Amino acid sequence: MTSQATVEPREEAPPERSTIELVNVSRWYGNIVAVNEISFSLGPGVTGLLGPNGAGKSTILHMLAGFLRPSSGTVRVLGEAVWQQPEAYRRIGLVPEREAAYPFLSGYEFVLLSAKLHGLPSPGEAAMRAVQAVDMEEAQHRAMGGYSKGMNQRMKVASAIVHDPQVLLLDEPFNGMDPRQRLHMMDLLREVAAQGRTIVFSSHILEEVERLAEKVLVIIAGRLAAAGDFRAIRKLMTDRPHTFTVRSSDNRRLASVLVADPSVVGVELDGERLSVRTSEFAAFALAAPRLARTEGIRLLELLPTDESLESVFSYLMKR
Amino acid sequence: MNGTIFALTLRQMIGRRRTLLMVLFALLPVAIAVIYRLGNEDTNQQDFTANVLLNGLIVTTLLPLSALIFGTAALGAEIEDGTSVYLLSKPVPRQHVIAAKLLAAWLVTAAIVLASTILTGAIALEGVEEQGILLAFVAATLLGSFVYTALFLLLSVVTSRALIDGLVYVFIWEGVVTELFSGTRIFSVRQYSLGVADLIADTSAATFEADLGGTGALVMMGIVSAVAITLAVRRLRSFEIGEAV
Repeated sequence: MTSQATVEPREEAPPERSTIELVNVSRWYGNIVAVNEISFSLGPGVTGLLGPNGAGKSTILHMLAGFLRPSSGTVRVLGEAVWQQPEAYRRIGLVPEREAAYPFLSGYEFVLLSAKLHGLPSPGEAAMRAVQAVDMEEAQHRAMGGYSKGMNQRMKVASAIVHDPQVLLLDEPFNGMDPRQRLHMMDLLREVAAQGRTIVFSSHILEEVERLAEKVLVIIAGRLAAAGDFRAIRKLMTDRPHTFTVRSSDNRRLASVLVADPSVVGVELDGERLSVRTSEFAAFALAAPRLARTEGIRLLELLPTDESLESVFSYLMKR
Repeated sequence: MNGTIFALTLRQMIGRRRTLLMVLFALLPVAIAVIYRLGNEDTNQQDFTANVLLNGLIVTTLLPLSALIFGTAALGAEIEDGTSVYLLSKPVPRQHVIAAKLLAAWLVTAAIVLASTILTGAIALEGVEEQGILLAFVAATLLGSFVYTALFLLLSVVTSRALIDGLVYVFIWEGVVTELFSGTRIFSVRQYSLGVADLIADTSAATFEADLGGTGALVMMGIVSAVAITLAVRRLRSFEIGEAV
């Protein structure tokens, strides 16, 4: 009944030009497995790591950034291993999730510090360009200790792009940003990606990933649950089985009508409560009011009961 | 050595409240020297200065505590608050990071301890033959602060409880164990420092004498510093930053 057979994002071909490659990568802490046998290849463009908190997204990003040694498997960025290779940072930029920065430095000094540590020939000019790119010229000489979370985040991005890295890794970059800052940051990341760079960011918010990422990796409980372009993932999530709670003027008769509809997998009538299971979310949402009207039944409520992101992740994990 | 990291670390340390507290603490031996000179003329000035002020207060307390505060904070504070990621995500060899952090922590520690040593010694020994005591303790605190700082910097990259472990080393190991069991003094930075002071001072054994010979102390200082720095660099090369689940 489902359309899942048409969507097999896990089997998609690797990108023509892989800049990031993970092969059978696992990472565990003692007896706890944080990342379990993950493999994927990414090319230039924006990729979102989507998953609930604690799914292993940060662990993957930290392995990509060379800050965590994989317990098994290989991690390659731009064709080279990154663990214990500080020289790799000439081509990688990292925006960590933690808000901490140096509160006594001004935003400009913070970016300048990054430029100097990268050994850039004109660190002052590079820092100024990066500050302009994140639209922080006005506040650049204020101490970072007085910045809002969003301003802090933008300066962290400026610091990460000051050396024009080919790969930019961002851990929950939109945390704490207001909607305007969020849009601005998305535009900035799209611009950076349009220059042929690879951007990987993590998020537990579906809408953020949907708006920015061309490709999505869904990480759940340390496993790669799905991978592909966002439309494929969205279809996969939409076409999963859903349960609706229905209230009407005649639940018993409505149940008998609905069960005959091809979009309905099953109905359950428990006293005054009618639950309908469907494999086609959109088709059922259109069919239910139409059938009710035809039968002269007054439809009082039609409520999907499992729309939380957790339930989506839970479904993907069980596939 | 990386000048940018060195300058950043100095700025971090000088701006902290703990630096002000250590400066105030460093004034304590100076104040006691002033009180001593004002109030007591009967004791042997060289004896009191070497054993009570310079050894008892500065080498035994101020020196290790200052080195502990700055040695563990130089890199440990950044590891703790998460800012170390901004240093470690740069193409800077790890030995340069350690060198910059060590030199900055040593400079601040030595500046505070040396100032206190010179002022305290000059006041307490004023009017009598100095017998090389001041120079001896200047050299002892200068070298001792380097060894202590290297040791505590190492602690900060191997454990998140560096401050507590350092206090245990200073007060339990050096303060109690090495006092009770003379064979353990070979593993005491305090004893190395006193050995250096004894080597340079021109005092009689009755006035001031260290338990370790000066040459042996210098050799041990070199060995301990080299081992601590090497281990710190190795540890930083394999240092992991991530979320433990």
